[in-house]
Amino acid sequence: MGNKQTIFTAQQLDAYQDCTYFTRKEILRLFYRYRDLAPQLVPLDYTNHPDVKLPYELIGSMPELKDNPFRQRIAEVFSEDGEGNMTLDDFLDMFSVLSEMAPRDLKAYYAFKIYDFNNDDFICKSDLEKTLNKLTRNELTEDEVRMVCEKVIDEADLDNDGRLSLEDFQHMIVRAPDFLSTFHIRI
Amino acid sequence: MEPQRQNSSYHGDQQSLRLRQVSSPASNQNHPHFNWNPGPEEDEVDGSETQQDLRTLGLPMGLKRAVRQVQQMKIPVVSSSDSWKLKRTKTLRTIKARGREVLSFLTLWKKTLQKIGGNFGGGVKSYFLFLRFLVVLNFFSFLLIGGFVLIPSIVLTSVDTQLVNSTGPEECLEYDPNPQGLVLFYDYLLDLLSGTGFMEYSFLFYGYYSMKDSSYSLPLAYLLTAVFYFAFCLICIIVRMGTAARVTVATGGGAVGNYSSIVFTGWDYGCLGDRATKLKQNNIRYQLQVDLEEERLKQQAAALTASQKLLLYSLRVSMFFVAVGFIAAALYGIFVATEFSQVRSGDEGILGLVFEYLPSIVITAGNFVVPLLCDQIASVEKYPPTVTIILALLRAVVLRLAGLIVLLSTLWSQITCNGQTTSGECQLCQYDHKNYPCWESRIGQEMYKLTLFDLLINMATLVLAEFPRRLLVDSWSNKLTQWVGRQEFVVPANVLGLVYGQTVVWTGTLFCPLLPLINTIKFIVLFYCKKLTLFQNCRPALKTFRSTTSNFFFLLVLLLGLGIATMVMIYSVAQIHPSMACGPFRSLPNIWSIVPNSFYSLSDVTQEFLFFIGSQAFSIPLFTLSCVVMCYIIALASVYGKSVSLLRAQLKAEGKDKQFLVKQYEKLRQQLQMPEQSGGLNTPSGTCFII
Repeated sequence: MGNKQTIFTAQQLDAYQDCTYFTRKEILRLFYRYRDLAPQLVPLDYTNHPDVKLPYELIGSMPELKDNPFRQRIAEVFSEDGEGNMTLDDFLDMFSVLSEMAPRDLKAYYAFKIYDFNNDDFICKSDLEKTLNKLTRNELTEDEVRMVCEKVIDEADLDNDGRLSLEDFQHMIVRAPDFLSTFHIRI
Repeated sequence: MEPQRQNSSYHGDQQSLRLRQVSSPASNQNHPHFNWNPGPEEDEVDGSETQQDLRTLGLPMGLKRAVRQVQQMKIPVVSSSDSWKLKRTKTLRTIKARGREVLSFLTLWKKTLQKIGGNFGGGVKSYFLFLRFLVVLNFFSFLLIGGFVLIPSIVLTSVDTQLVNSTGPEECLEYDPNPQGLVLFYDYLLDLLSGTGFMEYSFLFYGYYSMKDSSYSLPLAYLLTAVFYFAFCLICIIVRMGTAARVTVATGGGAVGNYSSIVFTGWDYGCLGDRATKLKQNNIRYQLQVDLEEERLKQQAAALTASQKLLLYSLRVSMFFVAVGFIAAALYGIFVATEFSQVRSGDEGILGLVFEYLPSIVITAGNFVVPLLCDQIASVEKYPPTVTIILALLRAVVLRLAGLIVLLSTLWSQITCNGQTTSGECQLCQYDHKNYPCWESRIGQEMYKLTLFDLLINMATLVLAEFPRRLLVDSWSNKLTQWVGRQEFVVPANVLGLVYGQTVVWTGTLFCPLLPLINTIKFIVLFYCKKLTLFQNCRPALKTFRSTTSNFFFLLVLLLGLGIATMVMIYSVAQIHPSMACGPFRSLPNIWSIVPNSFYSLSDVTQEFLFFIGSQAFSIPLFTLSCVVMCYIIALASVYGKSVSLLRAQLKAEGKDKQFLVKQYEKLRQQLQMPEQSGGLNTPSGTCFII
């Protein structure tokens, strides 16, 4: 404990603690996980804010993410450039939202963006079809995919415009009790 | 590529509606949902806006840091009392974080549960969480009993104080549990398994404790500890139920929106490993296909003709009676076995042991066979799958708890000569003193045997049934083994086993004070055995189990078991005459009478005070006050319910308004033949149209 570490300044650590759901120890542990992905790229001294971005391939190879069918969307949503290449800030942000203590609304907001494949702020039928295929590894027949998409839009679309907006999505999430425990990655 | 998190209407909890209004075209450029220049009405809000809000913002880290800087620059303007408040909240947060760290360090089996959840899903994990809860509950109960009953008893025995003489007919006082004559070697093992012989006259059973002449009234401590033990368990269960119930009530308690919740919340992001991921995907596919199939069946069922419906309903009614018949047959079997066992329990050797364990054997066999038969019935009844599962659970619960009740009532009828304590064998001592010189120890022994047998059966099933099954399925791959397949971890049946075991312990603790300790050890062993079989022998179930709603159901069944145990305890404390030959209550007419006796030995002031509390002058105002409080809470709850439904209706109305406005806009556009705007309805800031 104490000021033994020289990676961040005290102010930086304070800022991270205020902006994420992690404690000091966890932030340092996450930094080491980030660095382990590419030790030659990530410096041990972040006090002068180096601009280091890890490519998506390295992020997607983490054991917590490598088998997740949505890993590319997760990386895209949380990365600054939108292509999955993450800085340390993005990395911490991502695991903060996916941690135990993030509230339901915050998680629902990011889950919505993950499932919105074409980034148009609505989950339309094609987004749903892509989600479904990722969920079932393309093993549902076309008829079944169509029926399930219709039923989902039937159930969740409140303003009857044929696609789900953020409000529809959040309203549906409130009624799903398992969401908080499934939208959660432990690291 | 434009920044991803540009246009969104998400913000922290209280501010979303207000800031939607602020979201005017001018601030649309970078981050429309955070107000950089707060107006005058926001100043008092900003002063108390703690950094808690910062973490709930849906902004990238760089912007959150900028917000934080802005907030910090404002702090010198804040008065000293406010800055002290901010510091205090910050220290509180660090203390809470440290506390959470310590708690997570002390949490039992955290990594194991994480691994189980990742590989087998939430349903199986809920079983292990339930098991852990029971282990902790039993351990703290043992500490309670040990501190107030066991340790004083050991101290008093070693100090060798004077025994209080007990009165009563000479015959009733005869009790010698120590084995006579030559004791054979294997008798020790048999005694260990059945609680007789050298184990009977020990701290394990009621019979060893006695009333000593000292200031620490052991009988009073014994009784009050038992009462507090039940109260403690009740409080723990209700607190745990409260958290489960809150989730169920908040979500409307239903599988409403089944498809959307499977699609959007079905994927477990904590799922680790390639194999687990593939299984989870198969799982989701199976769920969706089953739901679609159920839909199709429902449509088919609705299209049945009247005569077909009549046939189906009459079939269901007759199958219901068949199920009741099976359960009744099993209960009768338990009754006969218990009577037979009590008569023949004095036999020597292995046969005697078998007769001792006969009730346990019959109960276990019944709990195994009857659900299998009911499964066959269920395939005839053709209920929808969810109803079938609930029915199977209910039948299993009824069978288990009724089996226990039958065992206990058989014992009771034998001890009290069918309730007629003034006739036959019971005339002299008001209980059957020939067969039961120390009836409390005997009941304790029965419960001890049930607990032990449960553990032995679980371990035997593991060794003799589950491991061989896996070896067979893995080494031979022909059609038969493929059809049988690897074991599935069936959560409901296992949970019912736990509830049954815990109910047995609750029933037996009054007569066997060390039973919670034995149960703690048993559940710990069970945890590791089940974990072993889960990882080695099982495949993840294709049919998932809804963990949140079922948690509430498990706790409800546990509460039912506690209720049964409480009734048994109340009856034995109040009605049955304690044994005159053993135990701390030997000179009293019933166990409860120690309380009035000690009461009268208190000082006069205390007695008057306690009388006052029990009198009408105190209890009627208390009753009125609690009625008023309850009315208030009911009114509050109904108001909340109404506002929830109002808000839901408002949400739907807003959607309709939006639809209407969109149509109007289209109409106007066509009328005025306005040039088509780029994007039109598809601008990212679609919130502009909502007023």
